[in-house]
Amino acid sequence: MKVLLSWLREFVDVRVETARLAEDLTLAGLAVDAVEGRGEDAVLDLDVTTNRVDCMNVHGVAREVSVLYGLPLKPLEASFAESGAASADTLEVLIEAPDLCPRFCARVLDVRLGPSPSWIRDRLEVVGVRPINNVVDLTNYVMIEMGHPSHAFDLARIPEGKLRVRWGREGERLTTLDGVARTLAPRVGVVAGMHEALALAGIMGGASSEVSETTRTVALEAAYWEPLAIRRAAKTLSLRTEASHRFERGADPEGPPVATARIAHLLQKIGAGTSRPGLIDSGGARRAPRTAQLRTSRVTLVLGTKVPEARGREILTGLGFRTRGREADAEVYEVPTWRGDVSREVDLVEEVARHHGLASIPSTVPPSRGVEGLRPWQVRERAVRETMVAAGLTEVASYSFVSEAEAAADPAPRVALRNPLSADQGVLRSSLVIPGLLGALRTNLRYGRRDVGIFEIGRVFGPGEPLPREERRLGILLSGAAMPAHWSQKARAADVFDVKGILDALAARLGLGALRVAPEGLPPFVHPGKSARILRGSEALGWLGALHPDLASAWELRDEAVAAEIALDGILAAPASPARFRPLPRFPEVSRDLSIVCDAASPAADVESRIHAAGGDLLRGVRVTDRYEGPPVPAGRVSLTVALRYHHPERTLAGEEVEESVDRVVRALRAAGAEIRGE
Amino acid sequence: MSDPLDALQAKVRALREEFERALGEARDPQGFQAVKDRFLGRKSGAVTGLLRSLAGLAEDARRDAGRELNALKQDIEARLDGAREALTARSRDERLAHERVDVTLPGRPPVLGRRHPLTVVREELEEIFLSMGYEVYDGAETDDDYHCFEALNMPPDHPARDMQDTFYVAGHSGALLRTHTSTGQIRYMLSNPHPPVVRIICPGKVFRRDDDITHSPMFQQVEALVVGPGITLGDLKGSIEAFLHALFGPQYPVRFRSSFFPYTEPSVEVDLGCIVCGGKGCRVCKGTGWLEIMGSGMVHPAVFEAVNARLGRMVYDPEEVTGFAFGLGIERVAMMKHGIDDIRLFYGSDLRFLEQFPA
Repeated sequence: MKVLLSWLREFVDVRVETARLAEDLTLAGLAVDAVEGRGEDAVLDLDVTTNRVDCMNVHGVAREVSVLYGLPLKPLEASFAESGAASADTLEVLIEAPDLCPRFCARVLDVRLGPSPSWIRDRLEVVGVRPINNVVDLTNYVMIEMGHPSHAFDLARIPEGKLRVRWGREGERLTTLDGVARTLAPRVGVVAGMHEALALAGIMGGASSEVSETTRTVALEAAYWEPLAIRRAAKTLSLRTEASHRFERGADPEGPPVATARIAHLLQKIGAGTSRPGLIDSGGARRAPRTAQLRTSRVTLVLGTKVPEARGREILTGLGFRTRGREADAEVYEVPTWRGDVSREVDLVEEVARHHGLASIPSTVPPSRGVEGLRPWQVRERAVRETMVAAGLTEVASYSFVSEAEAAADPAPRVALRNPLSADQGVLRSSLVIPGLLGALRTNLRYGRRDVGIFEIGRVFGPGEPLPREERRLGILLSGAAMPAHWSQKARAADVFDVKGILDALAARLGLGALRVAPEGLPPFVHPGKSARILRGSEALGWLGALHPDLASAWELRDEAVAAEIALDGILAAPASPARFRPLPRFPEVSRDLSIVCDAASPAADVESRIHAAGGDLLRGVRVTDRYEGPPVPAGRVSLTVALRYHHPERTLAGEEVEESVDRVVRALRAAGAEIRGE
Repeated sequence: MSDPLDALQAKVRALREEFERALGEARDPQGFQAVKDRFLGRKSGAVTGLLRSLAGLAEDARRDAGRELNALKQDIEARLDGAREALTARSRDERLAHERVDVTLPGRPPVLGRRHPLTVVREELEEIFLSMGYEVYDGAETDDDYHCFEALNMPPDHPARDMQDTFYVAGHSGALLRTHTSTGQIRYMLSNPHPPVVRIICPGKVFRRDDDITHSPMFQQVEALVVGPGITLGDLKGSIEAFLHALFGPQYPVRFRSSFFPYTEPSVEVDLGCIVCGGKGCRVCKGTGWLEIMGSGMVHPAVFEAVNARLGRMVYDPEEVTGFAFGLGIERVAMMKHGIDDIRLFYGSDLRFLEQFPA
């Protein structure tokens, strides 16, 4: 909101430097976003918080300034002479919807329509309001000045001089001042004539009763509208105005008579007309004033510093609160009608704190209440991330909402948003890889990057009650070279064993024991021959593998993309049992290599477990160290080199013991259809 | 007369010359061995032969001649050792010269991964708060109206809800994507293992229906909540100052100004002296010298009352306990720290961006 400094000074004689004024207002809660110099004068651009509708006007800001500097606040001049027949003789107001309008004030004005004097026009223009004619300008001027919106009807265009305040009717039509023909609804309040709606209550006037050049008599309305009613109507109509902005935040219920009087005063002052006698005040029965109590001890308790009681009283009375005696150790204050935001003690504490100055409250630190630290699962989550980074992957973060079309490759059920920003962000992701990491890969490919190794730790969502199910996951994706080209060696393309190795490293880092892979039960979006489910014991963790070529081509990928996605919640929660020390081996290990030719379709893991089973206790390790397919190995067969490791904890192994075991292994492998090509 | 000693000395001289010639011609270890054998060999060595021939001399002469010949023998051995070492050194130098590589060629770096810049900032914030005795509390990203608004003193139709346009889950009665990590305040207080004392931060993703250069529909916040007997606005100030000084350095001033949030009262906006211009005023701070960094305030009694109502008993008696809360955007901190001007870059997965920051 823009405040003209000279206008402000009509109500408080503030003479501090403008920059200082701006800073003091800012610290007290009226943030000055900008100061625009205008010669001697200046315009302050205030960002008034939604609770402070009382400061969305010059006089309200002046009240704050008067308390800030201990200056007197000048009241609004609102005296005027009345003439002619009583207002009530020609205008009647009926409030048919008190839940919409608790109070409706009106005056009948005889006006000489014309342009406003330049001082009014200039002030309006400076604060961004377009001058129209003297009557309309005065309603705007007074709204800017003291905050209460009002509206002028051409009395001649109000049938029978009767205004009815009621809810709109289904399908009812009204053309508003902006020329828009609107369809009303029962949630929209109107000021109507005997039959038709004439204005949108608290939002905007209507075209049919607009003040025009021919207007001689004006029905001036200033009402108090229920904030919620205005808020709902403005939302229903998608129409926000200066008036609705103020009413929906709660205007001053005592504002209407003041606003009409001030307008009458100014009308007379600029010689543009006079008010007929009497204020029509429908629903104007005085409400019981609200009170709030304040204990000085409470101020100390909340702020952590003492503010003298007298100082607190000075601040509050300066802001318009009135002392109403004491109750026990509390001072009772009557809350000014314009402070709808204040209702309880802590609100008064805030008023005192604002004007006492936050800067004068000493900084302290609360006493320590013991040691906290990351929870074990949080430590393990960081370990997951560190392992991925150590494996050369870069962490990405993608939106939790994704396009259903792009997510569709994942058969998991998804949760849709009711009001997404766009269809591209219509559903909550059910997978990190699809489409998040795939999208990240495509983005980088488009920027000319071919070698990509990325991961994300984040949540995926699924249907659930009472809230959608959330699951923490790790997703990994590699494409292009796992090892970039170097002058000493060629680049090596990433394949599924890169992903598997990274997950093995993760299992080792977290002490999970060996992960198992199972090549069946795969998700449909992976290459059926290059993928596996990942298991820890019998618990399914997720999958790893190459993405299905159909998916890869749909995403226009250049190279094979290999990926993995595993659930984290279980493995983060798994207790990290402390490692048990094993005595160091005192006797040397013996190793033997076996060259085997076996069926290419039989998994290497089967060969390994067959060797383990046959090898006996002394065989401590089995590892495939080489693999070869192609001539001279016959088609359908594969040559594997397997390293066997033997060890005895208590003595040096005898050669015969090892040979016996190797023989058993050889026999077992032969029985299973393998040939042994040498040891 | 021809003194036998003189004759011997002449022979020694001749042998020295002969040895020097022979040594000069030796090129390799075998050559050196041949020279050694020729002069010092047990059977046919020239010096050995001369030593043997001394047997016929008188005792005095024999002693003098022996001394002479032993000196020769030692000289020859020393000269041979020196020559051998020189040869070893020469051949090692040659080998080393041969093994030279061009160290100006590019090294073979291990593939370097990185944490996301927001992860780096978030963990830095976590470390600061952990060191101040806070617990890191993890809340769900989907939540309901009660935890996101109602318990935070924002009943339905509250104007403050305008400030955070909310994503709702379709086909679900009340599920929404949390608009702020303040949901963590309510969830923690409801399940607090040591009520009424609270000292937590709650970092996480939040969602609002906004998308432009300064707003991302998803972003990350850290919420802090401290509750207990005797917690004051002074504690709020001191804790925030300690945190900001740890994060940005003690040279930047911190400013507190009154503001409005429905769930705090008094509410306080926190500004940090502009880290770009040092407070002189620049484009980044719009000439004010200050950067808005976070919102904070004393927990509104209505929040305690809502939690008590849900718990069905008075656990957080607003007469007995007070608290402060604050929340800040992780992106905002990262943008300030690194001079990033578009929030959407964080969620674009562009490696050209992500690789600019140390892991």
